[in-house]
Amino acid sequence: MDIPLLQEVIFGLVIGSYIALGAIGFTLVYGLVNMINFAHGEFITIGAFVGYLTIVVAGLPLPVGIVATLAITAVVGWAIARVTFEPMNDAGAVPLLLMSIGLGFVLRNGMRVVAGPDRRSVRLDVTTYRFDDWGFFITSQQLLIIGLALVAVVALHVFLSRTMLGIAMRATSDNEDLALVSGIDTRRIRNTVWLAASALAGVAGLMLAISQAANPTVGYGQLLLLITAAILGGAGSPYGAIVGSYLLGIGITVSVAVLPSNLTELNATMAFVVLIVVLLIRPGGIVDTEVRAS
Amino acid sequence: MSAATDRLADLPIDATQAGLGLLGLALVFLASPLFFQPPPGAFVLLEVGVLFVLYAMILVGLNLQFGHTGLVNFGPVAFFAVGGYTAAILTADQPYQAVGLGLPWPIGVAGAVLAAAALGVLLGISTLRLRGDFLAIVTLAVAEIVHGLIISFRDVTGGSTGLFNVPQPVADATGAGGGADIVSTLLVFGALALVFYGLFRRLSAAPYGRVLRAIRADEQVTETLGKRVFRYKLVVFVYGAAIAGLAGALLVLYNGSASATFFTIDVTVIVWVGMLIGGAGNDRGVIGGLAIIMGFQLVTRFMNDAVPYVTQDQFASIRLMLIGLLLMAIVRYRPQGLWGDADRLGVDS
Amino acid sequence: MCCERISRNDGVSTDRRAVLRATGVAAAGAVGLAGCLGTEGGDGSGEVGDSVLVGQPASLTGTWDYLQPAASAATDLAVQQINDAGGALDVTFEVERQDTAVETQQAREVVSQFVNNDDVVAINGLFSSELEPLWDFLQEQEVPIITPWPGSTYLDTRGGDKGTDDVSDDEWLWRTVIGDTVHTAGAAQAMIEEAGIERMGILSATSAGEEGWTRQFTNWYEQLGGEIVEVISAQGGQASYQSQLNQLFESDFDAWALSFGLEDAITIIQNWQDGGYGRQLLMEDGLRDGALIDEVGAEAEGAWIAAGSSEGPNYDQFLEGFQEVSDEELHPWGVAAYDATNVIALAVHHAGGVSPEDVQRSIGAVSRPGGTTVTTFGEGKEALDAGEEINYEGAVTNVDFTDHGNVWGDVVVERITPGGFETEFTVEADQLQSQIDEY
Repeated sequence: MDIPLLQEVIFGLVIGSYIALGAIGFTLVYGLVNMINFAHGEFITIGAFVGYLTIVVAGLPLPVGIVATLAITAVVGWAIARVTFEPMNDAGAVPLLLMSIGLGFVLRNGMRVVAGPDRRSVRLDVTTYRFDDWGFFITSQQLLIIGLALVAVVALHVFLSRTMLGIAMRATSDNEDLALVSGIDTRRIRNTVWLAASALAGVAGLMLAISQAANPTVGYGQLLLLITAAILGGAGSPYGAIVGSYLLGIGITVSVAVLPSNLTELNATMAFVVLIVVLLIRPGGIVDTEVRAS
Repeated sequence: MSAATDRLADLPIDATQAGLGLLGLALVFLASPLFFQPPPGAFVLLEVGVLFVLYAMILVGLNLQFGHTGLVNFGPVAFFAVGGYTAAILTADQPYQAVGLGLPWPIGVAGAVLAAAALGVLLGISTLRLRGDFLAIVTLAVAEIVHGLIISFRDVTGGSTGLFNVPQPVADATGAGGGADIVSTLLVFGALALVFYGLFRRLSAAPYGRVLRAIRADEQVTETLGKRVFRYKLVVFVYGAAIAGLAGALLVLYNGSASATFFTIDVTVIVWVGMLIGGAGNDRGVIGGLAIIMGFQLVTRFMNDAVPYVTQDQFASIRLMLIGLLLMAIVRYRPQGLWGDADRLGVDS
Repeated sequence: MCCERISRNDGVSTDRRAVLRATGVAAAGAVGLAGCLGTEGGDGSGEVGDSVLVGQPASLTGTWDYLQPAASAATDLAVQQINDAGGALDVTFEVERQDTAVETQQAREVVSQFVNNDDVVAINGLFSSELEPLWDFLQEQEVPIITPWPGSTYLDTRGGDKGTDDVSDDEWLWRTVIGDTVHTAGAAQAMIEEAGIERMGILSATSAGEEGWTRQFTNWYEQLGGEIVEVISAQGGQASYQSQLNQLFESDFDAWALSFGLEDAITIIQNWQDGGYGRQLLMEDGLRDGALIDEVGAEAEGAWIAAGSSEGPNYDQFLEGFQEVSDEELHPWGVAAYDATNVIALAVHHAGGVSPEDVQRSIGAVSRPGGTTVTTFGEGKEALDAGEEINYEGAVTNVDFTDHGNVWGDVVVERITPGGFETEFTVEADQLQSQIDEY
């Protein structure tokens, strides 16, 4: 008994997982630091290289490698943000955007100078679990990726709803002035945001190093998709970003099956079509974030 | 801006008239058997110059959209591409593996502008009611969709290979080959760009422009003052789309071919960076910003031997890093752009 | 973007304005100077300076950056060997590399810079997506272009010197890599006649080179009576191709062809293995890369690859020298870059001067049959100095350029093993020549 499209949905969950971690980080920065960070892809690439270094070069076992990648990328990303974005935090959204574009150029090409364009990847042993009766299969690597994303999402949820810092972040995201007035230290919030966004980017990078490779442009290639997912879900909302990412992932994979066979390469472009359709129906994104004063 | 260009403003003629005059001269020059052969060393400068002039046309429209009206359009390359490919498909004569109708080039240009404007209308009507940041991403998405369509419908557009045998009217009229063609092209395109710059400048200097800037500052207030904000936004959006489409047609008619790599996101990045480092909203400033970024890109090509201890291969990446550093430096010390107005842009510098 | 704030900025002081004005003037001046900068090598008048300069447009950044290191290393090896032998015309032989990121507009600027500012004697490089849209522009430059990259069928009948001494009918483009027409013919023949496979599916990238391979392979395969059941195209750079593979393998065929760039192909082969789809795999020639074996040699075991023979008369010698100076993995274009550089140097030496026209005339002379067979620049220089004509035979092929500036070679069908590429059988060049009219 073949469940129609089940296999495609599983593939979509995997792709959605790659996008989700990057999109959450991006949207946290967007909502709390009030900037579009076009260098977020480079943070992911840093995560990919750190993952390669910890697991392949240093030979750490996978779970340790994941935690190490997370921690190291968090600190590195925070440090970069501290040096480039924090000093001009009051300058406004557009200058920060421009700064992130310049930073992206520098990081992307800097990594190419140091690492070279060659391919490095993190290879794991993969077992395939077949369920031919139901018409699908799933691999251990895919389960790992979906699992990692799930853990990250749950951890984030716990952080945002149960910890003081998380609640303060949600308050700041909702209404920054009110948060300031009630004594929340927005500087500390921003630091936390950068750490969290970079940590998530690190895990996303590691996932890409496992399934694709660690090369200087691996994160940059995902940038457009994760921005689309973040906006689709509702700019600034991490929960929205999660929903948006999985929606996009499934949309991309299901459209391969649905599109006519000479147009299957448009499946990647379908992500953008989904975005436009959703925004036409719900201008605030899926989670329908409130319009901030313009 | 600086005193030198202030003196330009005091001249008895404005940019539109200067542009039209130059255009007339250029056309006479083309029609005559005269041509100008530049020194070989200047060819690459002229090549970049032609590209600069075309990007400047896109930028003029974008500045009207963002600098004056506050519309965040991250997809100018979509209209650039639609214009270019429309002109190519209409005018190409037996392109290698694509559709080419072989029509005369004026039809190609007209078709390009119409197609780009049509896309602008379609996009504007459906999305201009969206909040600014969302408009940004939607325009970006549309640019990616256009790029994807161009690559996929390869039997029509030539896909990644490209569309060849497009006529080159300026080169044909000059007939001298090599650098003379580029000079003539630069004259004609430069004149056109000047005309449009002048036209858009007139718009922005007139009361029309004041309404646009009011919309940028506060839409709701402007609406309550009786101005149909959506109408203004749509018209400005379509103007920008149309001029980008024209620039696309000109690029294709200059190269005699359309290639997918002419129309990538890099175009959007350059034009936006030029606008922001020049100072959005300042008509002359944004052109200056574009000149700085493109000039820097060109100059760094000649610095292959300048940086010690790196191989030629590494230098290519270092060159791009230098461009990124220049950007970061300008933004850090002049966040409103070199000639931007900090108050109007809401920037705290 | 939309959040405006009321700022208490007092405006820019006059000092800053002055600095900005100075910056603007300086920038304009620098841009103006750029046009006069960078003359190296000869002065274009045919007189030899103190070095001979070749321009190499390269894919140093961008999507295809991973292909450049092998080509750069092979070129540098050739340059070193040339200079060890004293250099062409007894002066230093140099190659200047400029990045184009395989973008047409950048390629145009780089070529213009090479020809007009740097006075190069020849150009060594350019991909098909740069060559084809700029065809007329490149012809106008009247500088020989010898490139190792493009397999495109567009160039089958364009290029070369048309077999005449008259330069006015020349088309200035030569390529040292075997064209798609040749090796896809071999691949199709191998599939139908040797393996008896009559139905195939293809997974193809949308990029120019890969799309061209797919088109040409389909042509030949169907001409020989085979059926292409399904073609699935996909954009590059994706993290997983499972959904495309899943879609492809729902069709019924006995073998499938993979036409993708190396980086994504590795991902695809891993996905294919994980998904257990099975069936015989045939790979596009560009995947004949040591890195493929390193990464997925085990997963792809038993797959076939049909490539123009990249083991020409000089290959072993070349490989020895290459492995001493570089540990980059080789691919067919890298080896072809070695040949291209050597041919240019020999042509310059044969021409006795650095005018691009003279060099163009000499390219056929040093590479086509007739005269002493040589396999290195050193040998060739010796023979030329002794007054002999030479026939350079290269690492990829014997570099006997046709009238259209193309090269023939055998097509070798190999099998992938974890240890490397094992030859299964060879389709001889003569057999292919009989089937292909104009090349």
